[in-house]
Amino acid sequence: MLDVQNLTFSYAPEQTPWTFSFQLEPGECIAIQGPSGSGKSTLMNLLAGFLTPRSGDLLWKGRSLLKTKPWERPITSVFQENNLFEHLNVLRNIGLGIHPGMKLSVAQQQAVENGLREVGLGGLGRRMPSELSGGQRQRVALLRALLRDQPLLLLDEPLTGLDAETRALLRSMLLQHKSRGTAIVLASHDEEDRQRLADTVWNL
Amino acid sequence: MPNRLSPLLSAALFCVVSSVQASEELTIYTHPSFASEWGPGPAITEAFEEQCDCQVNLVALDSGGDILQRLRLEGSSSSADLVLGLDTGTMETARQTGLLAPHDIDLSALTLPVDWSDSLFVPYDWGYFAFVYNTEQLPTPPASLDDLINAPDDLKIIIQDPRTSTPGLGLLLWMRSVYGDQAPEKWVKLKNKILTTTKSWSDGYFSLFMNGEAPMILSYSTSPAYHMAIDKTDQYQAVQFEEGHYLQVEVAALVEASEHKALGRKFLEFMLTRDFQRHIPLKNVMYPATDLGAELPGVFSKLIQPETTLYFDPAEVASNRSRWLNEWLDAMTR
Amino acid sequence: MAGRHDPVMHPPLSHPGWQTWPGAVFAMGILGLSLSGLGALIWQSPGVDITSLWHSSYLRGVIAFSFSQATLSVALSLFAAIPVARALDRHRNFAGRSLLLRLMELSLVLPTIVAISGLVAIYGRQGWLTPIISYLAPALDWNLYGLSGIVLAHVFFNAPLAARILLQSFENMPSQQRKLASQLGLGSLWLWRTIEWPAIRGILPGLAGLIFTLCFTSFAIVMTLGGGPSATTLEVAIYQALRFEFDFGRAALLALVQLLVCGSLWWVVVRHNTNAALMPNRVSQEHPSRRDSTGISHITDSLMLLFFSAFLVLPLAAIIWRGLPGLWDGQVSLLLPATLRSFAIALPAGALSVIVALLIVTASGSTRSRIISRLCDIAAHFPLIIPAIVMGTGLFLLLRPSLGTRYDGFALVALINALMALPFIVHLLRGPLQGLDGDTLKVADQLNIRGWYRWRWLHWPRLRKPLALSMAYGTALSLGDFGVIALFGTPAQPTLPVLLYQQLGSYQIASAAGTGLWIIALLLANFGMFNLLGRSPRLKESNHA
Repeated sequence: MLDVQNLTFSYAPEQTPWTFSFQLEPGECIAIQGPSGSGKSTLMNLLAGFLTPRSGDLLWKGRSLLKTKPWERPITSVFQENNLFEHLNVLRNIGLGIHPGMKLSVAQQQAVENGLREVGLGGLGRRMPSELSGGQRQRVALLRALLRDQPLLLLDEPLTGLDAETRALLRSMLLQHKSRGTAIVLASHDEEDRQRLADTVWNL
Repeated sequence: MPNRLSPLLSAALFCVVSSVQASEELTIYTHPSFASEWGPGPAITEAFEEQCDCQVNLVALDSGGDILQRLRLEGSSSSADLVLGLDTGTMETARQTGLLAPHDIDLSALTLPVDWSDSLFVPYDWGYFAFVYNTEQLPTPPASLDDLINAPDDLKIIIQDPRTSTPGLGLLLWMRSVYGDQAPEKWVKLKNKILTTTKSWSDGYFSLFMNGEAPMILSYSTSPAYHMAIDKTDQYQAVQFEEGHYLQVEVAALVEASEHKALGRKFLEFMLTRDFQRHIPLKNVMYPATDLGAELPGVFSKLIQPETTLYFDPAEVASNRSRWLNEWLDAMTR
Repeated sequence: MAGRHDPVMHPPLSHPGWQTWPGAVFAMGILGLSLSGLGALIWQSPGVDITSLWHSSYLRGVIAFSFSQATLSVALSLFAAIPVARALDRHRNFAGRSLLLRLMELSLVLPTIVAISGLVAIYGRQGWLTPIISYLAPALDWNLYGLSGIVLAHVFFNAPLAARILLQSFENMPSQQRKLASQLGLGSLWLWRTIEWPAIRGILPGLAGLIFTLCFTSFAIVMTLGGGPSATTLEVAIYQALRFEFDFGRAALLALVQLLVCGSLWWVVVRHNTNAALMPNRVSQEHPSRRDSTGISHITDSLMLLFFSAFLVLPLAAIIWRGLPGLWDGQVSLLLPATLRSFAIALPAGALSVIVALLIVTASGSTRSRIISRLCDIAAHFPLIIPAIVMGTGLFLLLRPSLGTRYDGFALVALINALMALPFIVHLLRGPLQGLDGDTLKVADQLNIRGWYRWRWLHWPRLRKPLALSMAYGTALSLGDFGVIALFGTPAQPTLPVLLYQQLGSYQIASAAGTGLWIIALLLANFGMFNLLGRSPRLKESNHA
């Protein structure tokens, strides 16, 4: 489904470019690991369309995504930090992920409420991000990503800094989506996350 | 068809025409202090409307300079019928525009300190430029221009800039008419007594003089009349200078492009009657252009009575003004 | 949910053209309007003698003087504004802080004649403070009239504006950095070097340029407090040419010289300021306490703020003192209708100015074309450099045949007032509008929050405060303006500043002082009202999610 063909990128001409090549099928998860600066975020940004590759191609269901704008790609990202709009409360942060103009159906609003309860944030919908702990913010970001229900998830250290119980909960939610066919690219330092979620581990 | 319609048409036309006549409009460009609530404008408008079966429209522009400016900008499409508020400093420039029409009225009622027989401009008031002083701050003011110029430098005066203000230009001409070519040297001596040179009369009078910043300000010989009659205080008086005082005459004129010239001339004639002139002394704070007799407020007899009237022909002012201004600038920035 | 098979939707107005073209069109319109105003003057004048300009030592002197007084004014204004803004950022909860902010907003928009009267009452020869200054610093030989007075007045007008804009940048400092600094307990010097200086470095050149232009073109202040004709700016010469010599050509030429001087300055500023908007800035909802908000710096800060408040308040107090008697003098029947008329011009002027500023800033921030971006920057500052009376006269010449009723005149006044406020409003809005950081933009792009939706959900909630402040400035600048309205002539019904000048012209000194006080009270109320409107509605936000 996702076919990354010799995608190369470098920030400066004199720099040795990164080259990425791999395939990903629905329901498959690839974990990438490596020290910081090894190109994990660069890959995520290339896939999401925030960076333009120097060469190579990126195919989705056989079609090139290179000319496709970030908002037209079938992709949702969860960054390491700064996922939330600081001036909007939790409900709005999630709602905007579902409809960019906050026009939610009653069912969608219900789904948001349910999701919040599921990740242990029931009743916190009207909090501002600054009133949440780091782990709570990360849960909001992940919940938004899951509710968007796009076929490809790009997760950059999504579970870092959470307590064991929450990690287990979120992992099971991710597995659930995976089993329904969502493909995942996961960058994680955590051995356990990689073992439980990934089908392939790729060292950069 | 035409025949059956024509009575109707002419009836309609008659209505239109007569309604226009009933409220013939006279538009006068003037300056804000004339048109304001406290100026002579409202009372004069009312008095004239009573006898003319017309409507007077006062349009206030910032100053005499602006009135002329507006007239020039509008040219022959001007909506003004009359301009009122030009003075001896701007008259000549106004004449040269060719946008004004002869007044053709009898000027024999005028009682100006100079003879007046201009074919375009009708005076409606006049006054002398003079230094007004605060009697509490300055018990013995200089008695002449010469005394002022030779006074110790701790006597401070406020003047206005001749580049931007009418009284400012008045002082320039005053110095010129007293000292001729010596004027620039005298300005150099006067310079150290000048606290500041403001853009307009209002800036100096309101912000500085009434705040007590300097005991003397360049103003009009009639200014104390207002303070005495309305503010009921003798604190501010004009100094009478031995050399004499420079004259300012304020005038009105008919606009060539006006469609209401007859009405305009009526207004100019009205201007020289008591119904108009009686509002001048205390509302415009100037001398009336005609003899008001006993109607002249008593405070006017307490004003200074200059023995010599200094006055340049407007044409002479117009042809020398920029040279005199440059000499002044040189002297002041030397 | 969003559904993986839904076609991608296009939010309203999400085509990139919507961000660029409206602003670009307005920018071109402003440039066109200003230049055709100038052009109309040149075209109307019989002959233009360019050589006279180069040979005039007078003109050279005027430019040299304007340059030096403006440079000095800028230096002192910023010198005062930076520590004041820092102190205000450090201390967010002292009594009277909000009032002090309103006063800072007020000073720029005070009608000049009223402000000068206040300054004279404090620092003049008979001023309240003059004996104290002479006693404390006899060596200073204090004399208001001259360069000292001009600079004092310019600092009074511009330092509060500068401090206000700087404070807004401090408030937009990245929150992580703030938190980090708070955790590390950074001292004052380190905070300055690591956070504060980077936060204002980008806007400082533009701010200096703004103040420089204001002082360079200053008119009545320079004349009244300058002491004599050696204190003259180009604007005086332009006024003289236009109102006394009726020499349109010369006025237009002088305006061009002014354009050249200030324009080249802006050019330098713009060239060195290209990445100002690229600064990441994630707005912080919280303000972690700063180590340097206590201890010895607490005392110096308090003293400094006290001095600064006194500097602003004393002249106002003098104006109130002087104006109160005239205010009761049965004036209400005049003041109220004049107030309504003033607002009828000022509110549309303010709104127009804010809308145009938004479009222009958006265009200049979003376009890839350097030409359009420069065009927007230039257009935003043009009205500051071209004197209003030149623009007004030019426009009058252009529109003359179609100017019918007096309402057209009022509309034109509102239009020119709106243009005059534009440079200030652009400065107030530029930071907040272009201040979405890279991470936020990525998230927004991916979530398809573009076009109208981006404006509605990402910009609008963050812009409430700056927009309200902009609206307040736009309205206030127009409320206090006398210069433009005087050009077009007023029928019997005056606006407030016209009323003030009518009273002055009729020796109604006490009433004029009362009207001046009324204008100030109104301006203060205006800023207070818009400040209330701009409050972030946290309660509302929480109740309707």
